[in-house]
Amino acid sequence: MEEILNELQSVRWDLLAPIAIVSFVLMIVAMVDCFKHGKTNGPQWVWILVIVFVNLIGPILYFIFGRRSE
Amino acid sequence: MKQWTILFKKEFKESLRNFKWVWIPLVFILLGITQPVTSYYLPEILKNFGGMPEGVIMEFPMPTAPQVLAETLGQFNQIGILVLVLAFMGVVAGERNSGTNIMVLVKPVSYTAYMLSKWAHMTLLAFVSYLSGFLIALYYTYQLIGSVPASDVVSGFVVYTLWLLFVTTIVLLFSTIFKSTAAVAALTLGLSIILSLLSSITPELMQWSPGMLASHSYYLFQTGEANDGLWLSVVSTVLLVVAMLSISVYIFKKKEVATHTS
Repeated sequence: MEEILNELQSVRWDLLAPIAIVSFVLMIVAMVDCFKHGKTNGPQWVWILVIVFVNLIGPILYFIFGRRSE
Repeated sequence: MKQWTILFKKEFKESLRNFKWVWIPLVFILLGITQPVTSYYLPEILKNFGGMPEGVIMEFPMPTAPQVLAETLGQFNQIGILVLVLAFMGVVAGERNSGTNIMVLVKPVSYTAYMLSKWAHMTLLAFVSYLSGFLIALYYTYQLIGSVPASDVVSGFVVYTLWLLFVTTIVLLFSTIFKSTAAVAALTLGLSIILSLLSSITPELMQWSPGMLASHSYYLFQTGEANDGLWLSVVSTVLLVVAMLSISVYIFKKKEVATHTS
């Protein structure tokens, strides 16, 4: 147990945290756009699920394929 | 010039509204963070989860800082370019299909200004995303592994910028030629993959090719010196970019005149 705790402490969390922050920001931006813009290819609720549950690439998939312009 | 500025602002606003200015840089930043981090932790990950039999001693050497930068550019080259191409495949074709470009083109707007504003905006967005991802990667590499001489970093960065410029120009060209955005994406990605593959298989024959630029920038990171044929591929890329731009403007004019007079 102690060993695991030590190893966890040696991980550079300050450098790993930005990954979580950036992907969280991406998720929020995609969610806001999905609700406000409202026009999607396919049902909107599926895209909300994709944005929230598909890790990292969900929001990107929404912006590329899910968002309908005009 | 005034027209161009207005059109450029229009493009810029549109991309702000559909969040392209947010999510594309964020994707590059994410790539720029994850690559150095995975390179750094890979030996440990393999040690813990590799399922190595007891007693097997394997030493995984820590990658050098230039190597990590080159790997990051490799990520940009795959996922980064994929994202850029998919984001911009409809730059001309999409507007033509939905008919929104008519709203702009009924006014006395020069076709050249219209196309150049699109190209400039697309290139600027690609460049800013690449720059932010690269700076983050540089910071992480410095924190985790070590430093690379600044001059090597800058020259490698500039050389790779040219390759991105080449790719965005292909997107514009194909987007003017083809109606379907899927064809634009598939052909651009296919062409860039073929160019990169050919230049790694037969570097001697491909000295002129823009596909060599990526490996030239890796070489610059590693050694700080220009590899043979760097200038040849730089010059040919610049010429190709100018040629493709002129061809796309020409094709666009011809197509638009044809649709408006018929």
